[in-house]
Amino acid sequence: MYNHGKWLAHFPFLKERVDIVEKKKKGMTLAKKQLAAGWLFLTPATILIFIMSFYPIIQAFITSFKTGKGINIKFADPLTYNYSRMLQDVIFKTSMKNTFLYLIVEVPIMLIFAILLAQLLNNKDLKFKGLFRTCIFLPCATSLVSYSLIFKSMFATQGLINSILLKIGIISENINFLGTASTARAIIIIALIWRWTCYNMVFYLAGLQNIEYSVYEAAKIDGANGWKTFWYITVPLLKPTIVMTAIMSINGTLQLFDESVNLTSGGPANQTITMSHYIYNQAFGQGVGNFGYTSAMSFIVFIMVAILAFINLKVGDTRD
Amino acid sequence: MKRKLLSLMLVGTMAASMVACGSSADTATTDNASQDATTDSAATEAVQSDDENTLTVYAWDENFNIPALKAAEKDYQEVNPDFKLEVITQSQSSDVEQAVTLAAEAGDYSTLPDIVLFQDHYFQQYVTNYPDAWQSADGADCDWDGLGAEKLSYSTVDGTHYGFPVDAGTAIFAYRTDLLEQAGYTIDDVTGITWDEFDKIGKDVYAATGKYLLCMDGDGNDLFYMMLQEEGVSQFKDGEPYFTENETLVKVFNTLVTLAQDNVLYLANDWSDYTDQAIQGDMVAGVFNGNWIIPTMKQVTDNSGKWEIVPAPTLTGKPGYASNGGSSLYITANCKKTDLAKDFLAYTFGGRSAEDGQSITYDEALLNGGVIGTCAAAAESDVYQQGVDFFNGQAIYADIVEYTQNVATVEQSDYHYQARTALATALINVLQNGYEPDAALEEAETNLRFEMGL
Repeated sequence: MYNHGKWLAHFPFLKERVDIVEKKKKGMTLAKKQLAAGWLFLTPATILIFIMSFYPIIQAFITSFKTGKGINIKFADPLTYNYSRMLQDVIFKTSMKNTFLYLIVEVPIMLIFAILLAQLLNNKDLKFKGLFRTCIFLPCATSLVSYSLIFKSMFATQGLINSILLKIGIISENINFLGTASTARAIIIIALIWRWTCYNMVFYLAGLQNIEYSVYEAAKIDGANGWKTFWYITVPLLKPTIVMTAIMSINGTLQLFDESVNLTSGGPANQTITMSHYIYNQAFGQGVGNFGYTSAMSFIVFIMVAILAFINLKVGDTRD
Repeated sequence: MKRKLLSLMLVGTMAASMVACGSSADTATTDNASQDATTDSAATEAVQSDDENTLTVYAWDENFNIPALKAAEKDYQEVNPDFKLEVITQSQSSDVEQAVTLAAEAGDYSTLPDIVLFQDHYFQQYVTNYPDAWQSADGADCDWDGLGAEKLSYSTVDGTHYGFPVDAGTAIFAYRTDLLEQAGYTIDDVTGITWDEFDKIGKDVYAATGKYLLCMDGDGNDLFYMMLQEEGVSQFKDGEPYFTENETLVKVFNTLVTLAQDNVLYLANDWSDYTDQAIQGDMVAGVFNGNWIIPTMKQVTDNSGKWEIVPAPTLTGKPGYASNGGSSLYITANCKKTDLAKDFLAYTFGGRSAEDGQSITYDEALLNGGVIGTCAAAAESDVYQQGVDFFNGQAIYADIVEYTQNVATVEQSDYHYQARTALATALINVLQNGYEPDAALEEAETNLRFEMGL
């Protein structure tokens, strides 16, 4: 017979039904039927995920041990050639450095902004709440490519920002923002913050609405000021949301692509290129792609994301 | 009751949208087998035609290459009235490259059209790595010798012809005569000069007008290749990078550093910055690139009549001739009408119709697209001799054809674009990141060798 207990634990809704059925002593057949129905509903999605997702992942993993291009592709000797090659790849290291710079600078700023904005918008006494929420959420509705292009034209050497700064006398001649490594990186970070803060804010807003107002009232009676209520009530109660947004942001930033491609094209001199952008360049950017090497690099990015998400989960874990 | 009605409406809309999606998906899969076809026309046209007199072709640039193809279709219809050429427009050259990559990696060439337009510098590596994707053009009825040896060196692999040349890619150096005048120079002062003299003039022009005498995309810097080709030198030697020990390249590199530091050379951040800001934003007094850059320059109608073309400066002061870019037409493995395709290409771009000194293909390609071919016979046509208003009445086409004859053939490599990126990076490293030129070049060579797996 089936031993349902183990996997049923993951599907509490099924288990409840089994309990009801068993209580009524109508035998196992109905339970089995429902089990079968459960599997039936799961099967299409599972099969699709296997074919569309897991099978390519396995294929890519095999490819990552191959070297050469086109018909000349064959298993490398030694098998780990692509992985050891990465350690000597100066541009891959640069791209890794850039990506982590974006990650370390951008994610904390963005999350803090998001939580503050959410706090402001959650104020019960605020008027035109809907309007403000829409305004702040709008950047999220723009496509990645189009907002990158708009930032690009704004920060162009003869663009809007340069004209304004010139007019009000802050600078004396046009600055080539996107052509200088430090400013180009800063602009990518600014663009990312503009685009993604609101996205995270929505999660915080949802989290905040789940916090009982009475908790705040109690804190007020106990004499806690605004900062203390925020730090000792809002933040701990939002912790699951914070962990989730942090994982999503880390994941997203490590796979950053559109901004690097469209805003700076990775330039000047690869100083703003991200890992995904470099992988793309190697695969599709310059003629016949080196698919073995790019698969290997993709797996390294995958492992990095997994490790960072794992650490994040451990840090956010409240259970002892 | 109200709720029931609402849910009924919802189900209705969903069903309707599914039907709509379903039908559009159907047409998409049957009509357009390639995912890479990005434009509207591609979505409604098949990559292959059942009609035995119709050929399909992938091409890009509606202002340049596609008028040339239309001209060829018209030309061939004179000998084969039933002939049709279906042009499937691609948004850029890399779309064609990726279509071939996808088809070859999938082992399914049925997604390719009969003919593709392909960038010259990319073709050799696509033959090396995907030899099954192409059909040889040997045996085509045309005079290969009349098509320019330098041009054919790109489309010939191990002595086998694969392609028919479309445009020459011969480099032009265009100057704004009005701006030169403001700095006290004439067009003769910039003809047949060395890069050092050019630097001096450039500084004066910048001081007098605030415009740069030279510009280039700093990311994909073609100046190295062109300036080396003028001297008859390549970035490669025997298939390996030839940077630090290449005296000419070191000189060219140092020249470019000086030019950029003296505000004579403007390095744009990327290609669109180069075309939209530098050239069309009127930041420059000189343009040096393949002649396909002319349509971009012509967008600024205000400057019509102020430009003139001369051979580029060189290290020694002799007139400089180079070529950059350019593309050719190739027959893919998926073409089942090989004989028709070969005959069509040989008659039109292969120059068979130009044997009497006048070819509709080359004449109309030039008139409608500004495409300058490499076919020597076609260049005798009157169309090539006429003056162009934008260039102050200069007969630039005849001049460019003459330049084409002087371009030196230099060693090519599958890693042409990687070398370009490596050198561009080295230049920016010197200008911005405090590198010494020697160290920057050495790093570039190391990186390129790494990329080539040497």
